[in-house]
Order: sequence, then structure tokens, then C-alpha cells
Amino acid sequence: MRFSTIIIGGGLAGLCCGIRLQKAGVQCAIVSAGQSALHFFSGSFELLNVDAEGKSVDNPVVTIEGLPEGHPYKKINDFSRYAEEVKSLLTDCGVDVNGDAKANHFHFTPMGTLKRSWLSLGDFNRFDSMDCFCGKKVVVVNIAGFLDFNMKFVCDAFARMGAKVEQRKISLEATDKLRTSPTEMRASNIARVLDVKENQNQLLTILKDYSNGVDVVALPAVFGLDSTDFVKTLKREVPQVVLIPSMPPSVPGIRVQQRLRREFERTGGVFMLGDSVVKADFEGNRVVRLFSRNHEDMPLTADNVVLATGSFFSSGLVARSSEVIEPVMHLDVDFDSNRSTWYDAQFFNPQGYMKFGVATNNRFQVKRQGETIENVYAIGSVLSGFNALAEGCGAGVSMLTALAVADEIIKQ
Amino acid sequence: MNLQENNISANNFEQCIKCTVCTVYCPVVPVRPEYPGPKQAGPDGERLRLKRGEFFDEALKYCLNCKRCEVACPSNVRIGDIIQSARIRYSKHRPTLRDRILANTDVVGGLATIAAPVTNFALSLKPVKLMMDAVLKVDSHRSFPKYAGEKFVTWFNRNAQASQAQYPRQVSFFHGCYINYNYPQLGKDLVSVLNAFGYGVNLLEDEKCCGVALISNGLISQARKQAELNTASIRRAVTQGRKVVVASSTCTLTIREEYEHLLGVENADVRSSIDLATRFVYRLIDEGAKVVFNDDFKLRVAYHTACHMERLGWGFYSISLLRSIPGVKLTVLPSKCCGIAGTYGFKKENYATSQGIGESLFADIADASPDVVATDCETCKWQIEMSTPFKVEHPISILARALDLEKTKQLNK
Amino acid sequence: MQTERKEYDVIIIGGGATGAGTARDCSLRGLRVLLVERFDFASGATGRNHGLLHSGARYAVTDGESASECIKENMILRKIARHCVEENDGLFITLPEDDLAYQATFVEACRKAGIMAEIIDPELAKRMEPSVNPSIIGAVKVPDGSVDPFRLTLANVLDARAHGADILVYHEVKSIIKEQNKVVGVEVYSHKTKETKRYYAPLTINAGGIWGHGIAGMAGVNVGMYPAKGSLLIFGHRVNNVVLNRCRKPANADILVPGDTICLIGTTSSHVGFDEVDDMRVTADEVDLLLKEGEKLAPSLASTRILRAYAGVRPLVASDEDPTGRNISRGIVLLDHAVRDGVEGFATITGGKLMTYRLMAEWTTDLACSKLGLDRKCVTADEPLPGSRMEDSPKGRSFLFDKGGQSAKHRHGELSKKIASDNPFDRSLVCECEDVSVGEVNYALNELHVNNLVDLRRRTRVGMGTCQGELCACRAAGLLGEANNCAAKAKSDLASFLNERWKGVYPVAWGEALRENEFTQWLYGGVCDMNNVNNWRK
Repeated sequence: MRFSTIIIGGGLAGLCCGIRLQKAGVQCAIVSAGQSALHFFSGSFELLNVDAEGKSVDNPVVTIEGLPEGHPYKKINDFSRYAEEVKSLLTDCGVDVNGDAKANHFHFTPMGTLKRSWLSLGDFNRFDSMDCFCGKKVVVVNIAGFLDFNMKFVCDAFARMGAKVEQRKISLEATDKLRTSPTEMRASNIARVLDVKENQNQLLTILKDYSNGVDVVALPAVFGLDSTDFVKTLKREVPQVVLIPSMPPSVPGIRVQQRLRREFERTGGVFMLGDSVVKADFEGNRVVRLFSRNHEDMPLTADNVVLATGSFFSSGLVARSSEVIEPVMHLDVDFDSNRSTWYDAQFFNPQGYMKFGVATNNRFQVKRQGETIENVYAIGSVLSGFNALAEGCGAGVSMLTALAVADEIIKQ
Repeated sequence: MNLQENNISANNFEQCIKCTVCTVYCPVVPVRPEYPGPKQAGPDGERLRLKRGEFFDEALKYCLNCKRCEVACPSNVRIGDIIQSARIRYSKHRPTLRDRILANTDVVGGLATIAAPVTNFALSLKPVKLMMDAVLKVDSHRSFPKYAGEKFVTWFNRNAQASQAQYPRQVSFFHGCYINYNYPQLGKDLVSVLNAFGYGVNLLEDEKCCGVALISNGLISQARKQAELNTASIRRAVTQGRKVVVASSTCTLTIREEYEHLLGVENADVRSSIDLATRFVYRLIDEGAKVVFNDDFKLRVAYHTACHMERLGWGFYSISLLRSIPGVKLTVLPSKCCGIAGTYGFKKENYATSQGIGESLFADIADASPDVVATDCETCKWQIEMSTPFKVEHPISILARALDLEKTKQLNK
Repeated sequence: MQTERKEYDVIIIGGGATGAGTARDCSLRGLRVLLVERFDFASGATGRNHGLLHSGARYAVTDGESASECIKENMILRKIARHCVEENDGLFITLPEDDLAYQATFVEACRKAGIMAEIIDPELAKRMEPSVNPSIIGAVKVPDGSVDPFRLTLANVLDARAHGADILVYHEVKSIIKEQNKVVGVEVYSHKTKETKRYYAPLTINAGGIWGHGIAGMAGVNVGMYPAKGSLLIFGHRVNNVVLNRCRKPANADILVPGDTICLIGTTSSHVGFDEVDDMRVTADEVDLLLKEGEKLAPSLASTRILRAYAGVRPLVASDEDPTGRNISRGIVLLDHAVRDGVEGFATITGGKLMTYRLMAEWTTDLACSKLGLDRKCVTADEPLPGSRMEDSPKGRSFLFDKGGQSAKHRHGELSKKIASDNPFDRSLVCECEDVSVGEVNYALNELHVNNLVDLRRRTRVGMGTCQGELCACRAAGLLGEANNCAAKAKSDLASFLNERWKGVYPVAWGEALRENEFTQWLYGGVCDMNNVNNWRK
């Protein structure tokens, strides 16, 4: 099987890279070991929330300068142009986002906190300050029995912001039916039930009633696995609606994943889900063949390979008791061999292991036994040199490195 | 000292990190909330069952074994296998007469073929259907696949066998029940395509139903016997240097994966020699085999990736083959379960679930409005043909019609 | 400061098994009891051991007295605490590296202590427990089992409460009130209300485990204790169904115990300072040692997921200078400080082990009764604990799957009747790994002295499964917030809970454990922004 570029990993980074390449006429295949971390998406992409000194960032574009060498952002020329292009790439895929790389805004978290972010999905409201709910009348509504939306925390958050809060629960026959199972009252299953017109109408009627005389109707974001139609209807019919992300699975995240995949396939890309690359053949400083679990002895060949396998969660990196390895091609990994530096005993402090990743040069080419591999690039969270969680830059790194590497390949 | 260097469990269910992705892709839960869902039925339940077997929940029978959870799982957990193994190990449900009839596709098929016109006529009669509905709990809405008058094997022995030795290369063919009893034409198409590529076709010395229906109906010891027999036959063919080609994606998955994972029948030595027909043909073309297509062949095709095809990860081969046919205008349907899952959808208690699951796929097909739907799975064919006005064909049959078989044969001598 | 002088017959300090057992025994014998616990029940050594229902065989050779106490208590617990006990049986195996001759000595010692020890064919042993090291050359079957220390302690507390005892958790003794040379009460600080209160009784019993050293100090007496740290590893599922021990002199990491959904290997043994006992952490060397030895008992441990590591401190009474702490008698030490030190109204109960908690309580209550001039008989060896009073035991009964009720029955015995399950919300699962329903969580929150999520875990197993709280912690925090009508506390509880789980995970955080942790970090740190919860208005 011959492709021009093979991308290993079908998450945010892999898909953005693939879409960019396909649009430039580069024939790609994505090999994806299962579904991606977009299924736990918060609803907002982050570019940079915390600077090198640990201070909150308002303008990511100017803050980039101060990042340490080795940070993936430092390897991207024309950072703000790429940030703009990411936005249009998402929009072209039907992923409607709002935000500005020069001005972080706030979005709601499932805990009821307001968190900085760069691009928020159209489902969600963006807030430019934390005082926007002061003195407002808010009704927080949950689907009865849905445990992954924390009513108490959300109500508390509105109250702390100075709002007058009421809480309500909605029981629909169709969602109640889901409750037969003690475990399956999950966001995605609710979303599937609420894909049905009749159920949507019932919900709308109730919400309209609740919205009488209130400023905000807050709801868990459990609408629209495939389409944003109902979210739009909801916001049109009940303009006070504010959606709040639920605990996983994330319905808007799944939709983003599907839309990106669909765009990739629409432009001619081949998406191989549920497969993983298990072996690579090298000749000199190049990878010449890949073998996957499903395709067994049928090799996958390409001019270029992009490694977008993610970090530990998606097994792009594997930690052993004394080392961290990259399991697909055994590339060089930046890590500290002293395991005691991997962790901080406090769960919420930055964890050392999160900075580990595949070593790359300034063009994101990887290394193996110290030698640069010319036709293998790494993008996204498999890269070293940043702590996506502590810095609030995971999505930004994924998407910007994806486009930068796609351009490297297109240039050839 | 590198004890437990990887801290990666050899117990597959422990690789689950509870991310809930599998639950998003289970087609059963939204239509059948009695089903605990793949996470609870699979890895979570497994821990509890290891504590005490009585934690087994008979509601696991609602699992279609479509394996879409496995495809979605980012942790490589064989969720479907865990669920099916639990059913095998703990279920107290005894297969009913209906289950036995549905499961024994080859015995029943054999009898039915002898009296095909009568059988087909009878199976289409309302009173018969109602009787089956009431007595056997086979849903009366179901139309049964028609039984052919002449089995594929009979046709092959009479018409094709003698000429196979003339081809320079040889391959064995596991035809399965469906081709043998219901749709010999697909078998004939495969023989002519393979012949055109210079391959002579051999039947296995002995072959029984792959056993997928036996497994799903809990007839495990019979399934294991058949698996052993089939594996032995395949081994004999492989020893003689022949690959074994299978047209059906479900039979392929069952023989390659389930024999070992669920039935404990060792097949590692022959596994890689068992190939899906479209993959086999794709590889031939990839490695340089020549093809000549009929100029006048025009067809709008919508390809449906069957669940087990998705699990094999081999949709690419069928899609690429169809795409390589100049006259084909191909739509690849979003990969979704059609709801039939073998004998599952035939059972009265599952009919509504089955149709509920398939609804979205049927709508996609209607949107595409093709001349024909293509799929590598025979039970999907039944379900789609019953539930939509569209005709369904195997990609190999489409290829057989699209190829100029004679010219192709000349070039591949 | 309160004005009314609250009087009891006896104040018991310490909510471990011994304190709870003593509270039960005292209240069953009609005493007015106050039980004070600094944090939560079973949060010290009681909840940080193997959970092994010792047959006593382990001590038979080295300490016959402890062994015979163990087997007697073992048989009693099987009767009175059925819902806390799993009757698994145990094997003492001899490996090729061990001396098979020890087996005869061992069996003889067991016989003397009254323990049914039966030499069986190694082949039979392998059939009994397929996970056992196949190279065994000898096996002895003994009546070991598993016991859930959290359930056991709670059952004692519930029975004490039912018989009139007052229970104060999160109340820390700040000083012992003395009048001349007599202890008359305690001054306690409430961690919940931040108030200090005084309680009075003619007798105060120090059942503070290793912390009893400090409590004795407050009363002006010295109880020389020897803090011996023991570390254990928990594996993700039950590898074995029979307790596995090494048939040799007790040593490191030679017991593998199945308990509920998991199994655990332990322990190590090392001396620690009193300054460390409040925050025990497992070192990398200890993890390695436990794994190395564990694999000898059951080779499949090498490829089984490790969930977490934890350590407890044995409250041994220092009697000699042995640096390993192994040769100290685990015998029960009951000190009447009036006799020993001339301090009236104060007694210390220590030493012993989880297995003998009831006997320790009996002795202590006997002492209390004699001091108070009462003559009442102990009934705790015959009276089943709450939870174990149903007619038929949960074992051997075939339950139909009734949507979540089954695990609760195992955990709470007949008290599970109190768990609401009539509507879908009550039946829905908070913790999917351990099968804990909303009804069960609410029952625990309302009736089982739960103050935070860590307590809830001890009552219900919420967060004890593979994901270590990744999905359930947030749901449980929501229910806790509703129950207390306080979201802020529920949020900070959620943070502490995740921190507490991480403490046990990071010593083994590589491979799958690290994957799981990264995911949990993403959820709570990233999606939920929990690292920012406290300064979110900044």
C-alpha cells in the first residue's frame, strides 16, 4: 500500500496535518489506534494559558517569546499566522470556533470555574470577564439522572459570581428509558436520544417554560453528536441558553473528531481506525516501510511519516520503570532516567513526566540513536519540551505543529 | 532490577483505563438500555466476575459482538472477546430449539437446499412465518434468505473442478454456508475472478460452518469441534503451499481471531495464510497482476463497511478495488452497524433492537441512492435488502462483472 | 467552651478495630461510652494491612500464644462478622529454595496451637489455586481467609452506637485532663467545627495504635512503642482465590491475600521514626522487593497490573533491641496505668493485631468493668455484628443480577436493606469499577459517619477500583455536595481525594498506571481546571 505520507495517530494533530496535506494534493493515510483524546474535549482549544514564570497569559502571541528553547512553539516560524490558519482550517471542516490568539477569553469548565482559552466551540459562550453573571437570574437545568453534570458545583459557581441561582431537572420519557441501565446514562447516549426530533421538541417546550423571566438557562452540553442543528435551534428558540461541558465522553468533542475525520476522508485521505503501526523498516536515515497490526505482512510505504501518536494516554510514549520509550519506531526520547523526578507528590502540581517526549530538531524531524531521521516528523503531544497541562497549550501545540510539519512536507 | 518493567498487564481487561470511549460506539445501548454497555459488560464486569461468577449478567446476551467497541478502544482492549468469553463461561441460558436451528446454518442449509423451492415457498408464507414467530420466536417480519436449488459445492464439482489444475498458481477456498446454500453465484464469481488472475481454486478437503452462529448462540462445544475441523483442513491446504481465501468478512474474522480468542483453538501457524477475498485480489494487483475492464461497465455503488470488516481493518482493500474499477462511481457510507449481527436480528426478542440500530444506516443508503450497495458481509446483505429497496452485492461479484475476464486471464497466464 | 459537663463511664481514644471493638463491648455491657477518633475509623494500622483472616499458622512456630489466639478469633469472626469475611482458605507453600524440613515443624506447631494444618500434595494445591508457583515442592492447607478491616471496624461502631455509645470522628485528643494523679477526661479538638470540648469519665482507654505512644505521653506515662513500617502492593484484580503464604520463618513479602475485587502482597518491615508515622510513603526499593518476592508466590503477578502501594505502621510494643521488629511478640499488651505507673483512670491497649481486636476489646472491657465495679459478661464472641445478622449468609447464595444491589449486599450484609434502590437514580452507579450505586453512597453519607470522600471510600469502596477515582470521584463529590449542601467543601474534598489516591499510585506509576494517571490529570486538571479551583476568581 503506497501513500505519499503516512500519519500515525488520528487525533487532533494527526487529522489537522492530514487535512492540510490532502488539500495540498498529498495523498495521506492515517493509522489510528482507536479513538482520540478529543472524546474528552473541554469544548475549548488552548494556545497558551500560563507563561514560563507561571503567570496567567492574556495574549499568547506576545508571550511566546519568553518560552524556553526547546518548546515546540519556539520551532514554529510565524506563530500568529499559523494560529489564524488553524482557525480557518477548523471552520472549513465545519467546526465553528470563536476566539483570538492575541486575547485569551474565558470558558466554563464542568467544575463551574472559568478557564482561559483560545478558541471555543460555537456551542459554548465565551466570556471576556468573570463578572458577567453578577446580579443575573440563572436557572441550572440537568437531564434527570445524569451524574456527569455536576449541578451542585455549577450552581455554586454562578452563585459565587453573584447570580441568583435556581436548579431544575428535566425528565423526558426517552432519556428516562436510558436510566434502565445503571451505567449508560452517559452524555453520548443522551445526545443520541436527543437527536430525535420529537424528543428535541419536548425539551424545547420545557426549556422555554423555564426561561421565562430568567437571564441564563445553563445546561450540560449533550447535544449534537453529528450535527450542530439542534444546538443552533436551542440557542435561537431559547436565547438564554448557556451550555456547560459535561464530564466525558464529550459530545462536542466527538463531533469535532467526526468532522475532522470526514473532511480528511472527503479530501481523499484514507483513515484506518483501530489499527496500530507495530514495526518500521529503516534504510539509512529514512523509514521505508511500516507494518501494522491489521495489515500484517502488507507493508505501508510512503515518502514521509508523521508521528502523531500522542503522549502516554494514547501510548505514543510508554513509561517503563526506569525509562520512557517511543514504542513504534524506538525514536530518541527526552526524559530523565531518575524516576523520582517524574512525579510531584501533590496531584495538582506539574508532573515532571509530562514534559517527556520525542526529541526533534527545529524542523520537527525525529532522531534515532542520535541520528536525524529525514523523513519522519513528530507533532502534537508526543513531542518533548512542554507541559501541555500546566502551560495550557496542548491543543495549540497539536494543531500548530501539525500545520508547520504539513508545510515542511508540502515544500518538498 | 527491572521487575514488572512495563506494568502493562497480560490480562487484557486490565489495559482498560476507563475512558468510556467504547460506550460511545456501542450500537446496542441507545436502543436496548437493558444492556449494560461495553465498558460495564466487558472490563469492569470482568473484575467483578473474577471475584465471584454470580456477578455475570445474562443481559450480556444483548451484545451483538459487532466489535465496534474494540475498534474504538484506544487501549487495545478486546472488549467484545471479553464479553463473549464471559457468556461462554458463565451463562446459564440453554440454547433453545430456535437457537439451535438458527445456529446450525449448514445442517439446516443442507436440508433446505434439497427442497429449495418448497423451503423458499414455505418460508415466505405468512402462516409459516407466523408459526415460526409463535413457536420458534423467529420474528415474522424477517424474510429468510432464499435457498438455492443447487449448492455451490455441487456446481463446483460438476462444472469447475476439472479445469482448475491448468492454472499456474493454486489457492484454497473456504466458501462458508452462505455461498454454499444461499448464494452460489458469489462463489462462481470468485472462481472466475481468481481464474482470471491465474489462480486455480481448490475446495478444502472438509469444511463446516465457521461457527460464528454457534458461538453467539452458546453452542460452544459444537463450535469448537467445527473450528478444529476447519483449522485442520486449512492446515492441510497451507502445508500444500496454498493460501485460503474467504469471501465473507465474518467468516474471516471468526476463523482468524475467534477460534483462538474464544474457542482456544490454536491457529497461529496458519492464521496469516487465511485471507479475505478482496484483500487477496488487491494484493495480486498491487504486486503487478494485470486487469482489463469492460468498457461499458457503469455502476453507482455505495460501500457499506460491515462491523467485522471494520474490526479486521480491511475495508481499505474492498474500497480500493471498487475504486479501481473505471465505471464505478463509489460512495463510501459512514461505517455503522446494520443491526442484524448474524442470527441476532432473526430472534423475535431482538427484532426491534436490530431495526433500531440499522435505521441510521438505511437512511444513509437512501441518501446515496446507489444502483447497488456493496458489502463483504452476507448477513448485512440480508438486513439491507430486507430493510431498504436496494440490492446488495459482494465487491467480488461487482468485480467479476466489471472485469473483462477473458482478456484479464490472457494477460495473467 | 461548653458549660455542661459531659460524663461517660468510659472514654475510648482511637477508632481503629480495637477502639471500635472496645466501644462495642463496653456498650453491650451497659457502659456509657464515648469513642473519639482523630480522623476516620480504620485510618491507621487497622486499614493498612493485608486484610488477612489469619489462621494463626504464620505465628505457630515463633509465637504459639498468638497463634492460638488467632485461630480462636478466626473461628469467632467467621460467625459474628460473616459479611466482612471471605472463607478462602490458605496455603503455606514450600519452594525449591526453601527447606522442606520446616514443613513438619510448622505442622506440628500448628497442631499444638489448635490450627487445622493439612499437608497436601503439591498437585492438589495447584488445582486448589491455579495461580500458585508451579514449582512448589510442598503445600499445607490452613483455614486462612480474608477480612475487610473497614467493614469490620464500622460494624463494631454501628453496634456500639446502637447500644448508646457516642461516636466522635474528626475529634483529636489535645490533652488528657488529670486531677492529681487521676485521669478524669479528655480535651478534644473538632476538626470539623474547630472547637475544643471537654469530656469526662472515670476511665479513659488509650487505643490509639502507634499514636497511643503520644496519648500516653499526654497522661504523663511512657509506653515504649516501636513503629514498624510495613508496605504492601495492591493488584488490579484477584489473581488468587486462596491465601498464599511461604512455609518458612516469617519474612518480607510472603503473603498474597485475595480481598474483594483485588489481591495484595506484603509486607516489608522497617523501623521508622515517630515523626514519619502520619505520612507513610512507599519507597521504590520496597516496591521492587514486594514484586520480587510476590512473583515467587504467584508468577502471574509479574504481568498483573499494580494499582497502588501503601504502608501502615504496626503498633508494636518495644521489648528488645531487635532492629527488624519481627521478633517482637505480637501479643496483646493491656496496661493498667494505675498499677504500672500509679496513674488512676487510664489504661492502654496495644500490641496484638487486627485478628485479635475482639479479644483485646474483651480484656480491656473486663478491666473497665472491674475498675468500675461491675460484673457483666462479655457476649461479643457470640453476638453477630450488624450486617451479619441475616438468616442466610451472602455466600453460596445465587443472586440474580439486580442492577447494582449485589455488591452492596456483600458490603453491608442485611443492612443493605437500608439502601434505596427503588428508582433508577438510586440504582445508577457512581463507581463503575466497584459497583457502588447512588443509593449506597447516600446511605453511607447519611448513616455511616462520612465526612469526606476518603471516608466514603472506606465505607463503600468508591474509588478503590482500577481507575482510582477517575470517573467516580467527581460524581461522588456531587452527591457529597448535595448531602452537605456545600459545594466548596465538596470541591476541596475532591481535590484531597485525588491527592490521596495519587499518593498510593505514584510509587508504581509507570506503564498502565501512568497512562491512567495522565488521563485523570487531563480530566481534573485540564477539563475541570481543578488546579485552579481555589483561586478561580483571581
